[in-house]
Amino acid sequence: MAKKQIPLIDTDIHERVQYKDILEYLDEPFKHYMKNCHWIQEKHMPYTQPATAGVDRADAILPDGRPAGSDLAFMQEQLLDDVGHEFGILTGALDPSPSSMHGWYEMAAALATAYNDWQIEHWLEKDERLYGSVHIAAQDRDEAVKEIERVGSHPKMVQILLPIDDIMWGDPYYHPIFEAAEKHDLMIGMHHNEPPVYYGKWPRYFIEWHTLIPTAHMKIIANMIFNGVFDKFPKLGLMMIEGGFTHIPHLMWKMDQQFRDLRHEVPWLKRKPSEIMKAQVRITTQPAEELTKKEFMSLIDQMGTDEMLCFSTDYPHWDYDSPYRALPNMEPELKEKIFSENARAFYPKLPDKREE
Amino acid sequence: MKEQVVCKTSDLQPGEIRESFFGKKNIIICRTQNDNFYAFMNQCIHQGAPLGKSLLCGATTDESTPGDYHYCHKDEVIRCPWHGREFDMKNEGRMLANPDKKLASFKVRIENEDVIVYK
Ligand code: FES
Repeated sequence: MAKKQIPLIDTDIHERVQYKDILEYLDEPFKHYMKNCHWIQEKHMPYTQPATAGVDRADAILPDGRPAGSDLAFMQEQLLDDVGHEFGILTGALDPSPSSMHGWYEMAAALATAYNDWQIEHWLEKDERLYGSVHIAAQDRDEAVKEIERVGSHPKMVQILLPIDDIMWGDPYYHPIFEAAEKHDLMIGMHHNEPPVYYGKWPRYFIEWHTLIPTAHMKIIANMIFNGVFDKFPKLGLMMIEGGFTHIPHLMWKMDQQFRDLRHEVPWLKRKPSEIMKAQVRITTQPAEELTKKEFMSLIDQMGTDEMLCFSTDYPHWDYDSPYRALPNMEPELKEKIFSENARAFYPKLPDKREE
Repeated sequence: MKEQVVCKTSDLQPGEIRESFFGKKNIIICRTQNDNFYAFMNQCIHQGAPLGKSLLCGATTDESTPGDYHYCHKDEVIRCPWHGREFDMKNEGRMLANPDKKLASFKVRIENEDVIVYK
């Protein structure tokens, strides 16, 4: 029996560049450093155990041995055509990637530029379903803003993937980036990467780190809200990618309760924190916490809106969520929101629904 | 479909998995290092991953204590190619983390060089 197609807007798909493929997009001397000096990105993750093929789905590795996510035709066959995607949003972020680079600001900025050009040419302009994320090296903020100005107006760039660093995103340091984002109708995406979320170090076990990724999301959301970012930049939206979603009601309740006591400290907040979240923060579903239907519906109820969750597969990674199996059955209207309409309403540059 | 020859024993090496059909059902045949053969549906009970791309391996056991790993099962565990859940072939394909769940399995016997799957 043929599988039913799902006209999904998938909010987290990882395309992957290989060092040899990005070379031609790099300017000198950075090309020289990669090619002749064998630069590779420093990586620290001390674990190998997540699954049977590192962080990838074993069946997403290409038959010729190339890494998962590195070939459009294979991704089309295994994911986009198979599920019936309407759109997919690319979130890259495996090395070489400016999103997890620290130090060497010049290389990081050059890598971001090369990455964006490669992404546009090999993915965004090759498949009309695919939309992209602007990669930046935010450790050099002014260069980052230039890069947003350079590629942010591309019609298929829908968000800026802001690298995580030790300056929280509510800090005024980032305001010029948010300004550039607003100017080009780009949202801000947070996807975990190195560094880890555990007091600057890796926890002893991968399972601890992976369980607690939502704590990093909660910190950033609270920081941006209480620092008044969403009031200063009313068109800005924040997509929290790959942290699951069951922490959301907790965070909204907590912030609202704190706000009732401590409003005087952040008098620039014009709305309740939960109202700000409902208006400007969205959450991708993967890795879904495997709730029963009853638990899932109760959670939506606790959020007070069914317009915050956006389905994501995280293809081709090991903890891929199947659009057929990851969430409980739900009413068609709610399913349409979570599987496509919430993301469509969030990203201004995604086209309206196609006429059938 | 009562029983069916699905392949020859020499079609898969010890430690390998092979996809096949039992009637219309897409199945996997697994051969352990000790030359035991097992057959399961080629679909993970979690989210439906193709188990033909699994890894046959050992696993850490519940005899482990904090900070001290105990590893065995040699190649008797199927690890799913997606989320890596572990299914114990010798224990009816039960999931190590949740033995109430198990893979759909078939019986296997070897006659001469034939691998025969039956219900
Ligand atoms: S699909 Fe097999 S472990 Fe998830």
